Amino acid sequence: MSVQVRTLDDLLHAPLDADSELTTQEYLVNMGPQHPIAHGSLRVVLRLDGETVKHVIPVPGYVHRGVEKMCEHLTYRQIIPYTDRLDYLSAIMNNWAVAKTVEKAANIPTNERIDTIRTIMSELQRLQSHALWWGVTGMDLGAYTAFLYGFREREIIGEIFEETIGARLTMNYIQPGGLMYDIKPDFAQKVKNLLPYLKGCIEQYETLLSGNVIFQERLRNIGILDGKHAIALGCTGPVLRASGVPYDLRAVEPYGVYDKVNFNVVVGEVGDCWDRYYVRLEEMRESVRIVEQLIDNIPEGPHATIRYNEEIILPEGLHYGQVETARGVFGVFIASDGKNKCPIRLHFRSPNFNNLWIVTAIASGWRIADFISIQSSLDLVIPDIDR
Amino acid sequence: MGAKGQSMDTKSLLALVVSLHPTVQRRANADRLAIVVPVDDLLEVMKTLRDHQELKFDLFVAHTAIDQIEANRFELVYILSSTMHGNNIYVTAYIGRENPVAPSMVALWPIAEWQEREAYDLLGLLYDNHPDLRRVFLEDDWIGFPLRKDYRDPYMLDLPK
Amino acid sequence: MGVALDKLPGIVERFPGGSVAITRLDQAINLARSNSLWPLMFGTKCCAIEMLMATGASHHDLSRFGAEVARASVRQADLMVIAGAIVKKMAPRMRLLYEQMAEPRYVIATGSCAISGGPFMYNSYTVVRGADEIIPVDVYVPGCPPRPEAFFWGLLTLQKMIREGETIRAPGIRKKPVLAALPEDVSIHDIRREIRSALVDENIIDIEKAAREKPWAQKVRAWIRRVSSH
Repeated sequence: MSVQVRTLDDLLHAPLDADSELTTQEYLVNMGPQHPIAHGSLRVVLRLDGETVKHVIPVPGYVHRGVEKMCEHLTYRQIIPYTDRLDYLSAIMNNWAVAKTVEKAANIPTNERIDTIRTIMSELQRLQSHALWWGVTGMDLGAYTAFLYGFREREIIGEIFEETIGARLTMNYIQPGGLMYDIKPDFAQKVKNLLPYLKGCIEQYETLLSGNVIFQERLRNIGILDGKHAIALGCTGPVLRASGVPYDLRAVEPYGVYDKVNFNVVVGEVGDCWDRYYVRLEEMRESVRIVEQLIDNIPEGPHATIRYNEEIILPEGLHYGQVETARGVFGVFIASDGKNKCPIRLHFRSPNFNNLWIVTAIASGWRIADFISIQSSLDLVIPDIDR
Repeated sequence: MGAKGQSMDTKSLLALVVSLHPTVQRRANADRLAIVVPVDDLLEVMKTLRDHQELKFDLFVAHTAIDQIEANRFELVYILSSTMHGNNIYVTAYIGRENPVAPSMVALWPIAEWQEREAYDLLGLLYDNHPDLRRVFLEDDWIGFPLRKDYRDPYMLDLPK
Repeated sequence: MGVALDKLPGIVERFPGGSVAITRLDQAINLARSNSLWPLMFGTKCCAIEMLMATGASHHDLSRFGAEVARASVRQADLMVIAGAIVKKMAPRMRLLYEQMAEPRYVIATGSCAISGGPFMYNSYTVVRGADEIIPVDVYVPGCPPRPEAFFWGLLTLQKMIREGETIRAPGIRKKPVLAALPEDVSIHDIRREIRSALVDENIIDIEKAAREKPWAQKVRAWIRRVSSH
């Protein structure tokens, strides 16, 4: 037995090695918790030799709210708004994860219409999330123009959400057994008008940023992660696919109506920051394709199969459901005792928590500026790490 | 890789695992195959699940634990997936509440290092041979483990009835 | 209003068109201050997307109000927008950020989490119930998250407060906070009256005194001591 508990101070006060040849000494630099690159409050302690990163110590927890503890006191419907506040850029997909788990456990049926609208909304949100990410990545690497363009598309897609759902960010839309609100009669037409515009926007993104020499130099061959290590490090989503592993839950375990539409699982070749960048751009094109195939024939039917005040009690046992959000596999693990309307234990398997730690494996040896590229290419949402 | 659907149904998967490790039992009440493993065999079983040609559970999806305070034990839950065969499995094990020591899976899946740190931070589970066991979300001077059922915090407010 | 700042105070100048402007230096400075607030890039949670990023982008365009110069360093900023929940681990750091800002400094708390803990008020073991447990807040903008327009209204409220002459008082002295959202039957005149009543002396809060009474103060001092001793 060798259980040894350590503290952060042990790491920070470890001896700093002096490089005798160059007469330099290692030193520690804090990035965060308040730092523009963190997009939230994430603290990263860098052990540096000159400008070279020797070791990375991520210190999350600056927005740890204890959601899992709170969920032990909430009913399954009340849990859904809290998932909005984890990965707020994939709010609809997070809602779906809880709804999917509860529906499967409690045998709540859905219908074609519900599944189709859920899929369309999720793909629109993926487009919105990737557009925002694209803009913010540009800003992180010094191109402020990209930020303005990325947010332009976010607002335009956001208007569609706002009209149907009434919220701009925290959606609370997908419920067990249905949707919170039905779509408006002109929803399909509005989305149809939007799609050619979005296609044009993606082309515009390419001409604005992708071809830029400086931008390519800052991403190509930086922070390479191969497929084998990517799986072992538990990362998912575009980060895993950029490393050449075609693991996408939409294709592997189809849910909603993903098994009825054609789309490609985009994979990268090298696994560097550029691949992670380009996989997301290609995914935006695939999302547009998925919405195009579905928007013309949304089936008729009710938008909910059970009443909203109906009490849901899950059978005793372990329940797990997962969806593919814009950042990877978001899973909900529920342990129920079969008697209460609240879970006895609920665990969120968040994609960002697992994706964060690959910086400890791939950032060593790069410069500080490259570390910015690496962290930006992971597309981290900090409240999803901390929960 | 990236197979669509599952390569084996629950029954044959269980039969295969039991044939390799006879101490493994099925855990009832789960939405997919769940097995209970004695905690002493846990590392061996997990190694088989990862390496066996027909199993290949290479994705360590999640690890957490349930505080079963009435039975005075923790139930460890590992959720594994196979990117190659598309199978899913729960692996569970029971450890006592007084001395909650479990074997660490870091040698098999590197991501276990941080998921186990989270379980230590919030539930107070200890891991044998863990390279860096320290709190991940809370500060080092935090007293208690908040996700335990008997955790009390003077600052925490209960919802008024 | 035309103001010849370099000649002030005391000299009245005839403008080319023949109009005359008389002002006090205080008012001129407050006008300038209120229209050039530099926010700090500090967001903890979802509200940051709406409050700092969406408003900073072209659709909502924060620069209409002269507050688009978001600074990454506290020492260059004078407006802290608390966007998101503050947890116990963050609280001493946020207090430190606030203390590093130069006077005059202003704080807007946006969203339910920063106002009262919001959805994380009950059964949460880390969330601080309101940012004003840690630092004084000037304006609250309710919502979860508030719309960018609501944030603009909060910003305009703060600008009004500054123009009312708040900043000329001694550093570290704050008025009671003001709620930015307007209920149905409230007009701008009511807000103005509220601000005027807030300027009465007995409503003034001494930050240093308030901070000493807060349970956080002890921890923050210990933390700062520890950091500076390294």
